[in-house]
Amino acid sequence: MKRYDAIVIGGGHNGLVTAAYLARAKKSVLVLERRPRVGGAAVTEEIFPGFKFTMFSYVVSLLRPEIIRDLDLPRHGLHILPLESTVTPMENGDYLAAWGDHDETRRELYRHSPRDAEAYDEYGRLMHFMAQAVKPILGMVPPDPTSFAPGDLAGLLKLGKHFRALGGERLHALVKLMTMSSADFLDEWFETDVLKATKSASGIIGTFLGPRSPGTAYVLLHHYMGELDGVFRAWGFAKGGTGAVSEAIASAARSFGAEIRCDAGVSKVLVRNGRATGVVLENGDELSAGIVVSSLDPRRTFLQLLASNELPAEFVADIKRFKFRGSSGKVNLALDSLPSFSCMPGIGRQHRGAFSISPSLDYVERAYDDAKYGEFSRRPYMDIVFPSMIDPGMAPPGKHVMSIFVQYAPYNLNGGWTDAKREAFGDAVVNTVESFAPGFKSKILHRQVITPLDIERITGLSEGNIFAGELALHQLFFLRPAPGWAKFATPVRGFYQAGSGTHPGGGIMGASGRLAAMRILKDGGGA
Amino acid sequence: MSLRTTPFHPRTGPLSEGQAWRRWAGYVVASAYELSHDREYHAIRNSAALFDVSPLYKYLVTGRDAARLLDHVVTRNVGKAKVGQVLYTPWCDNEGKQIDDGTISVLGEQTFRMTSADPTLRWLHLNSSGLDVTIQDVSETTAAVSLQGPSSREILQLAAERDLSALKYFRLTSAKIRGIPVTISRTGYTGDLGFEVWVDASQAVPLWDALIETGTPYGITPAGMLALDVARIEAGLLLIEVDYFSSRHALIEAQKSSPLELGLGWTVATDKARYNGQAALDAERTRGPAWQFTGLTVDWDSLEQLYAEVGLPPRLPSQAWRTSVPIYDRSGNKQLGYATSGGWSPLLKRYMALAHLGSEHAPGTEVRMELTVEHRRKQAQAHVTPLPFFNPERKRA
Amino acid sequence: MKYDAIVIGAGANGLVTAHYLARAGKRVLVVEQHPSADPSADVGWIPAAVMRDLRLAGSGLRIDEPDPWITAPLPAGGTLELSRDIARSTEAIRRISPADAGKWPEFCRRMRSLAGVLERLYLVPPPDIESNDVRELTRIAGLGLYVRRLGKQTVIDLARILPMSIAELLDDWFESDVLKGLLGALGVWHLKQGPRSGGTAFNFLHHHAGSPIGVFRPARSNITQALSKLPGVEVRRGARAMVLARNGTATGVVLEKSGETIEAPLVASSAPPRATLQPLAIELYPDFARAVGNIKARGVVARGTLTLEPPPAYSTLCIAPSLDYLERAYDDAKYGKDSTAPYVEVQRTDGRVEVHVQFVPPGTHGGLAERVAQILNVRPNQVELQPAEESLYHGELTLDQILFMRPVPGWSRYRTPIEGLYLCGSGTHPGGGIPGAAGRNAAREIL
Ligand SMILES: Cc1cc2nc3c(=O)[nH]c(=O)nc-3n(C[C@H](O)[C@H](O)[C@H](O)COP(=O)(O)OP(=O)(O)OC[C@H]3O[C@@H](n4cnc5c(N)ncnc54)[C@H](O)[C@@H]3O)c2cc1C
Ligand SMILES: Cc1cc2nc3c(=O)[nH]c(=O)nc-3n(C[C@H](O)[C@H](O)[C@H](O)COP(=O)(O)OP(=O)(O)OC[C@H]3O[C@@H](n4cnc5c(N)ncnc54)[C@H](O)[C@@H]3O)c2cc1C
Repeated sequence: MKRYDAIVIGGGHNGLVTAAYLARAKKSVLVLERRPRVGGAAVTEEIFPGFKFTMFSYVVSLLRPEIIRDLDLPRHGLHILPLESTVTPMENGDYLAAWGDHDETRRELYRHSPRDAEAYDEYGRLMHFMAQAVKPILGMVPPDPTSFAPGDLAGLLKLGKHFRALGGERLHALVKLMTMSSADFLDEWFETDVLKATKSASGIIGTFLGPRSPGTAYVLLHHYMGELDGVFRAWGFAKGGTGAVSEAIASAARSFGAEIRCDAGVSKVLVRNGRATGVVLENGDELSAGIVVSSLDPRRTFLQLLASNELPAEFVADIKRFKFRGSSGKVNLALDSLPSFSCMPGIGRQHRGAFSISPSLDYVERAYDDAKYGEFSRRPYMDIVFPSMIDPGMAPPGKHVMSIFVQYAPYNLNGGWTDAKREAFGDAVVNTVESFAPGFKSKILHRQVITPLDIERITGLSEGNIFAGELALHQLFFLRPAPGWAKFATPVRGFYQAGSGTHPGGGIMGASGRLAAMRILKDGGGA
Repeated sequence: MSLRTTPFHPRTGPLSEGQAWRRWAGYVVASAYELSHDREYHAIRNSAALFDVSPLYKYLVTGRDAARLLDHVVTRNVGKAKVGQVLYTPWCDNEGKQIDDGTISVLGEQTFRMTSADPTLRWLHLNSSGLDVTIQDVSETTAAVSLQGPSSREILQLAAERDLSALKYFRLTSAKIRGIPVTISRTGYTGDLGFEVWVDASQAVPLWDALIETGTPYGITPAGMLALDVARIEAGLLLIEVDYFSSRHALIEAQKSSPLELGLGWTVATDKARYNGQAALDAERTRGPAWQFTGLTVDWDSLEQLYAEVGLPPRLPSQAWRTSVPIYDRSGNKQLGYATSGGWSPLLKRYMALAHLGSEHAPGTEVRMELTVEHRRKQAQAHVTPLPFFNPERKRA
Repeated sequence: MKYDAIVIGAGANGLVTAHYLARAGKRVLVVEQHPSADPSADVGWIPAAVMRDLRLAGSGLRIDEPDPWITAPLPAGGTLELSRDIARSTEAIRRISPADAGKWPEFCRRMRSLAGVLERLYLVPPPDIESNDVRELTRIAGLGLYVRRLGKQTVIDLARILPMSIAELLDDWFESDVLKGLLGALGVWHLKQGPRSGGTAFNFLHHHAGSPIGVFRPARSNITQALSKLPGVEVRRGARAMVLARNGTATGVVLEKSGETIEAPLVASSAPPRATLQPLAIELYPDFARAVGNIKARGVVARGTLTLEPPPAYSTLCIAPSLDYLERAYDDAKYGKDSTAPYVEVQRTDGRVEVHVQFVPPGTHGGLAERVAQILNVRPNQVELQPAEESLYHGELTLDQILFMRPVPGWSRYRTPIEGLYLCGSGTHPGGGIPGAAGRNAAREIL
């Protein structure tokens, strides 16, 4: 039987990135994916003939540019196209729009509040600085503040220096971002409610928090990070959907010699004398390897693939405490034609950007209130894009696909999720859109409703949390996924973690996968 | 949805021969109306050039504490200014670094119009807490043209049907041109005799027509930004985001400049109550600024020689440039600073540049400026020259 | 009359500052807007240093440390009473949840050790992380070392727990709604946050500072009264003061009604930072003025008195039956309404019965007293409430407004950009609920 240098469990984009980097370093690598296709939460599937759905994730901004360069992804088909605008329909029939052109956006904001138009520029500059300040941390293995090891102390010192170098004003802004709610943070800048609502929405993505919950300002920043890499618009759309990102990485990995096996779910990691030696597949096959890497979330990685007696009890307790609390759903639609929003009637360039259903802070906060007590939002926050407007190949000519990211849909719904509840959730989404775009419902040809439970069932992401663990302050950096184990190694020798549940966290970023590969190679890489 | 056009656009639009437009504060304005800006430039120095300067940000500040607010913001003493006066002034952050510069027109005891290059409404509001003032953004409702050049006074006198000879440099008056109420200020961005005419946006087109009709016998010439750029360099006038960065936009400390470093020491009052940046500026004045903003003249012989080496006659920039160019000491090894704007003065027949240098380099100091001759990096000899390069008597007379 | 210093406000912190200054030989005047001293109890830990330095022990200071420290009604009837004795509390908890009882001692121990870290931070000015001064850096390093010496668990707890919500913290430990409710209430004290909001675990620990292990309600005292009687400073009551400043320097105060100006080279204000500084905006750089304007000090508490004859048997009664109850109480406040079912706590101190009602955001408060009366099973005319428009802490104790961020980022050393003007009230480090700590730190910084 062939013995691999490394086996990577999970063919999501992070697992693929790890595999590609290891293979690039001349390791023999096998990726084992449970589903018939790679991609995990970054997949494009033709659910209805001719209509390609970006099933889960739908936009890209965080993907590390060094990965694109190192793996030469454009050669493997990656092409990220800009999303040009964000339009927020308001309850009074007006709208707020942010366009690609700065002057145009400024003029639009000026219409709502002259002062906010100016504050917007200043705010943008600050966030740019802040993202710049935090970015090095994304590419850094988090030092452990509890350790007295020279490496950790040096790391802490370096981190301390880095932050002090920011200077007072930015350091304070960083503390605010780390601790405040996005609503409070934005209150310090703006007076226009709909502007605050739309901005704050990016602070709630993937969390079980509302815009007024402290901790959401950090997520705001997390989503700003993509703006740094010289891209004009932060968010882009991958040609062929986010599945094409995974395919490109897979193709790169294969080109370096990695083997990728689909329909090959792993049931256990084999551990002998405290050291990982291979895996057992769901079909019973055993495969052996020098090292094993899991790109699954921490709960699956440690509580499912391993027996608890193989791990320290304290660590198991920490992993059990790790919060998932999935809160997002997805509705994917096949449309006969594009809907016209009454705030900006007709079909036009606005359809090449996003529509944000976040008409007021109270609206978004009330959506959260529903979820807090175990119901899906009756009028949810939604982020809508029309992938076929950016990449016409996503739907048959003249027809369209519509991707609706929805919050909140709590994983722990009162009474549990059922087929009927799923459809009721779908109805709430569609009816809310209809209220901003009358006539929209009549254009729907097919509908796919995805609840957090569906996300969990299909991708394996526990409780359907899109980031493989909430991006809460106490689950970041050296605490992700557990104190003392934030450096991609695990208590089991030869067993590594590489998924979004590790530092720096979720989104199609690839950073976890890359940092894990670096760590593995530093450790000798199984061979 | 495209860029906004100014209230003069019905007239300026058809004049543009090459459709050469430039963005300015969210508006489009002409780079040059003719295919080359030469004639437009010469009009500034020879007859009269008419510029559309409507995109300037304009704020009307009124109320009991209007002067107090402005004094809190800017470095000059607004409280001491008289009605009818116009002040050119920078304004600073708390560290005495320049945020922007513009003019303040004292329209009445409690009425001021402030112009700025960057949007300033929020800054004024932030400074006004607890004060009895109203701040109105009149950028859109007020249009402005600038009439610059030796014949500008004659043309305006005829158009306004009144004697403007008493209107002194940096003073303003209200007047009517063909019945249109306007404010005329003796100000401009060319360093020449010139005026700016402020008018309600709805009357912009008739005002334009009146000025053109009256001015045609005197050679009035609509002119664009390219011609203006040459003139403002000759006049040694700074341009934000080119010659300096707003301290509120700067990414790093080194990108910031103080008015003392920008040669605007004369605008920093020593006789006023607390204002933004005062303590830092007072200290800097005592210490002496580390940098100066000065002129450079590139020596013709040096230029000629550098080109002769490759068998070419000297090449001159056809337009004013706005890039950062290193300046070295006479040995060519040590960098002393950098030039931020430069170009050929068709009038003075010299290659001039505006530069940031350490304050120790006195006028006449020989330096070197980097330039590219046939794809190769060279250094031309230049001399530190006091600003302005061109300062005609008629400007103030 | 010439003064060396004027202190605005005769609350605990103002008076503490005044007395420290007086002891250093300064002639001090305290100006207080209210005509008479507030008879209500001071809730909070009084640092021993304050008592010692100002010799409060012999001055009529009474500190009430009730036992049991809390009484909470149980849904099935009866009450849960927690006492100062951990073993007795554990037994009380065992009757509602054996599992919780098993965890109680360890929970108390862990919280105590975290609160101990805060206590150490609170009796000195906040660390100045921007400083390049060797002494300050050594001090910060010392704090860091101190924390690390407490052990790995404390470091991890600090990093994990401070940003957490009190609901997450308590859910990690306990199952009983009543227990979580009465503990959770301390986490939202004087905050416009619900128990599910991040940072409420910190607020919980803040209010645990100074209390013995296993006691999660601060002591109550008459420190303001006791300080008022202390000789050595002149107190002028019934006079609202505004700071006077010219060209960046404080020159004294002006009294609002009379217009009288009193000059002094040093003014220390224990009034809320915003109220003190906003009228001086013209003397301030706008970024600083904006930071002052941005201080979150949202009023959410109505304090008041209950007329109960005879006085109740309990010393502290807490009506917060579950975390969801508290969360829903907060939900109303988010949309600007009084809680339909508010969190109510009754405190009997020396025969006075006071009540704390939350959440009560600024507004009209229709029916509030009636609802509180109904919850407490008394007549509405027995309840008298004074809703506070602004935070009684002069600034909410959220993570972005503590330590070197309090009262505004970068100005945590009790100084202001105005020469000679200091802040010394709850709006400064370490904040409300610790009467005298800010006042003492400020006085030491001034001296
Ligand atoms: C609805 C939704 C919308 C999102 N929107 C965006 C967005 O717009 N932009 C963005 O940047 N991010 C978005 N995200 C987040 C982003 O998609 C994820 O963070 C990212 O894709 C996670 O990548 P990963 O490789 O770490 O994990 P995954 O993609 O979860 O990959 C794990 C893989 O492991 C496989 N697997 C599971 N169990 C086993 C097993 N036992 N054996 C073998 N294989 C197994 C799974 O099938 C899966 O392929 C979204 C996520 C969701 C769910
Ligand atoms: C009514 C009230 C109820 C409180 N309830 C609680 C509670 O339940 N739990 C708790 O932990 N803490 C409570 N606190 C807060 C707690 O008492 C304080 O943290 C502590 O007393 C320290 O307060 P301080 O001196 O910093 O501020 P304060 O006690 O607020 O004192 C400031 C003083 O300055 C005076 N003042 C303000 N402006 C002016 C001016 N311009 N001129 C003159 N005087 C001025 C005020 O009248 C006040 O007396 C309460 C405070 C008050 C005022």
